[in-house]
Amino acid sequence: MISRPSEPRVRRVAILGNPNAGKSTLFNALTGLRQKVANYPGVTVEKKTGFCDLPRGQRAEITDLPGSYSLQPASPDEMVVRDVLLGLQPDTPPPGLIVFVVDATNLDRHLYLALQVIELGRPLILAVNMMDAARERGLEIKTDALQRQLGVPVLGISAAKAEGLDTLRELMTRDVEPSTRHFREFPAHLQRVVERLEQRLPRRDALPDRARRDLAVALLLASGDDDALERHVSPDTRRDAQVLAKRLDEFSPGWRSGDVMGRYEAIAALVAEAVNAPASSRTDARREAIDRVLTHRIFGPIIFVVMMGAVFQSVFAWAQPLMDLIDFGMTRIGNAVGSVMADGPLRSLVVDGVIAGVGTTLTFVPQIAVLFLFLSILEDSGYMARAAFIMDRVMSRVGLSGRSFIPLLSSFACAIPGIMATRSIENRRDRFATIMIAPFMSCSARLPVYALLIGAFVPNRWIGFVTLPGLALFSMYFLGILAAILVAWALKRTVLRGGMPLYVMELPAYRMPAWRSVFVTVRERSLLFTRNAGTVILAITVVLWFLASYPKHGEAVRALESQRAAAVVVGDTAEAHAITRQIASSTLEHSFAGRAGKLLEPTIAPLGFDWRIGIGLITSLAAREVMVSTMATVFNLESGDADLQPLRTSLREAVDTRTGKLAYSPLTGLSLMVFYVLACQCMSTLAVVHRETNSWRWPIFMLVMMNVMAYAASFVVYQGGRILGYGT
Amino acid sequence: MIRRASNLQTDCRPLDRLAAGERGIIVSVDCPPPVARRLMELGLIPGTEIEVVRRAPLGDPLEIAVRGVHLSLRRTEARHIDIAPV
Repeated sequence: MISRPSEPRVRRVAILGNPNAGKSTLFNALTGLRQKVANYPGVTVEKKTGFCDLPRGQRAEITDLPGSYSLQPASPDEMVVRDVLLGLQPDTPPPGLIVFVVDATNLDRHLYLALQVIELGRPLILAVNMMDAARERGLEIKTDALQRQLGVPVLGISAAKAEGLDTLRELMTRDVEPSTRHFREFPAHLQRVVERLEQRLPRRDALPDRARRDLAVALLLASGDDDALERHVSPDTRRDAQVLAKRLDEFSPGWRSGDVMGRYEAIAALVAEAVNAPASSRTDARREAIDRVLTHRIFGPIIFVVMMGAVFQSVFAWAQPLMDLIDFGMTRIGNAVGSVMADGPLRSLVVDGVIAGVGTTLTFVPQIAVLFLFLSILEDSGYMARAAFIMDRVMSRVGLSGRSFIPLLSSFACAIPGIMATRSIENRRDRFATIMIAPFMSCSARLPVYALLIGAFVPNRWIGFVTLPGLALFSMYFLGILAAILVAWALKRTVLRGGMPLYVMELPAYRMPAWRSVFVTVRERSLLFTRNAGTVILAITVVLWFLASYPKHGEAVRALESQRAAAVVVGDTAEAHAITRQIASSTLEHSFAGRAGKLLEPTIAPLGFDWRIGIGLITSLAAREVMVSTMATVFNLESGDADLQPLRTSLREAVDTRTGKLAYSPLTGLSLMVFYVLACQCMSTLAVVHRETNSWRWPIFMLVMMNVMAYAASFVVYQGGRILGYGT
Repeated sequence: MIRRASNLQTDCRPLDRLAAGERGIIVSVDCPPPVARRLMELGLIPGTEIEVVRRAPLGDPLEIAVRGVHLSLRRTEARHIDIAPV
């Protein structure tokens, strides 16, 4: 089974196992910080690889394959696992060695996939994880008996406590002979069908003969939507397989799950020999006690609300000081760099373009880090599954599952970490639907805009128990949720229809999170965002800087600058400041962004917006809250001012230069708020959607859909309001 | 196992009718083929003992225990799984 230590080289090892087997903990323990994350080509499944030093100067390149229940795939994750193991995955050849992780406390369920993979005839080490938890429960697991029966090396480990990892690393340097065992028997007629199909499959070097059988079986069981099979097997063969499957359905009902029963019978025999369980270990008393509270009819939802409140509040509040710190730091750096550079376009590019762009990217990182800190603690401890269990009923109303709740909740702070959190949704269609509705949740960047407009246009009156401004703010949040429900409902009935309609989820035992693993996850998510989405955000910021600064309005600005110089000479600093603001305003008005605002005016006039709001809409593409500072610049106000009152007054009293009447009515304010609720303005969100869906189709779809909805809704509000006589 | 259970057909109930804490033996998994296969791969094999541990606070889904593993299962699937008394 194990022979001499092999030649020094980089071994290609894959870690594989059921979800909740502790795979990722083992991966993090073996590779530490030397990881990289990418996507498998064409799909949204994450490919995690890392390096691990082995004894005697050898190294291993380790791939953490997604958690799976079966080689008969029910999700894109499981399809990738099958494709890699069968040699169908284009960029990932089958691993030289498989480390298969099983949970010692749930051996029989976890052995199911293990038997399937052992049957493939590839070199494999079975790592029986969570031996510490098994010992605590009085379970005795005879690894030597398992080794004998399975024909592969077996060792007990505890990944969370780094137990047995040295032995595992040592084993990984050896040449492991694949097992020759089979654990399933096909009845004679099915055997013949499978053999006939096998002969028609293309001969390929990557595929060991025994794996060809699995490909044939996969072909028989296939039920559409299987890219790898379509790539590798001719249409004729696939059609024949479907005909054969139909015939089997007629003459041999139950053939589709015969091998499942066979494997479980083999497992029962294996476990009977290899596991000594005390009579009382049937139920886990501690788990039961915790669950009785956490999923209690009344306390369960209360605890859930408190937990979610804590997470939400932390993303909102804990991240804020860090974001302020980054903001402060970047401003200081900008000032420092600005003071050593000569005044001119280059300085403006560096300070207002590049440094500001880096700042924008970095301010997202605290939110992402804090959210993923909580998410990985909730996930590792086992609470996440309970949260999904509690919320499933509610979310199923719009065709989603309980897993969608937390990403959507996080999106009220910011859609970017929210969209990144959808990774925990196994169902691909649910995940995409959740991504598409996440930006409808009113994020913290919309709050300054709501605050400005409500303060300017909504009178502070009491209506029963609530104030009118409070009601207006609530309505904006509610409108976003309503839009999300409608869009989710529509998507799940159209483009995201179908898929296996099975919502089954494991409720794992409660565990202390492995802190090292939590830390690695937080770091990895933050870096991933900075590297991938960050570069796009930086580029967009620089482009928007350019649009808002060029072309320089030569004549008028030069005249203003000489006026300012005169004011400085006289010592009239107030006058000088006023002129500086006028210069900024004039520059913005005549920039590309300003001209675009004017160009946009006929289009947005039916919504009640003029060119000044148009400029705000354009600069909002960097981040929605930029709208506030842009409007301040447009109205000749100090843009860094934290006090919104002067700007509110300016908005209320703004005059339409052509008619001489007031430019904005309360109806304009309402229409603009509705627009901000629904419009897709945040380019950073689109960058993240692109990365998370691994395509440009979805972000473009999001952009078009949301903006059409926003335009339509604002149009209805403004024009409808005018018809009803609220226009002035 | 299956034959013995089918003699008790009259006592069979769908899984979603079991009360919290009630146990039974799986007789059949009558879902569309891919769903049935997946449920069996997760250990819901006819002849296996199954327990409804609890219902979610809003009544759906169910928490079931089978082979020492706890799963959350919606009633739409549980309806098609027939259970005989232990």
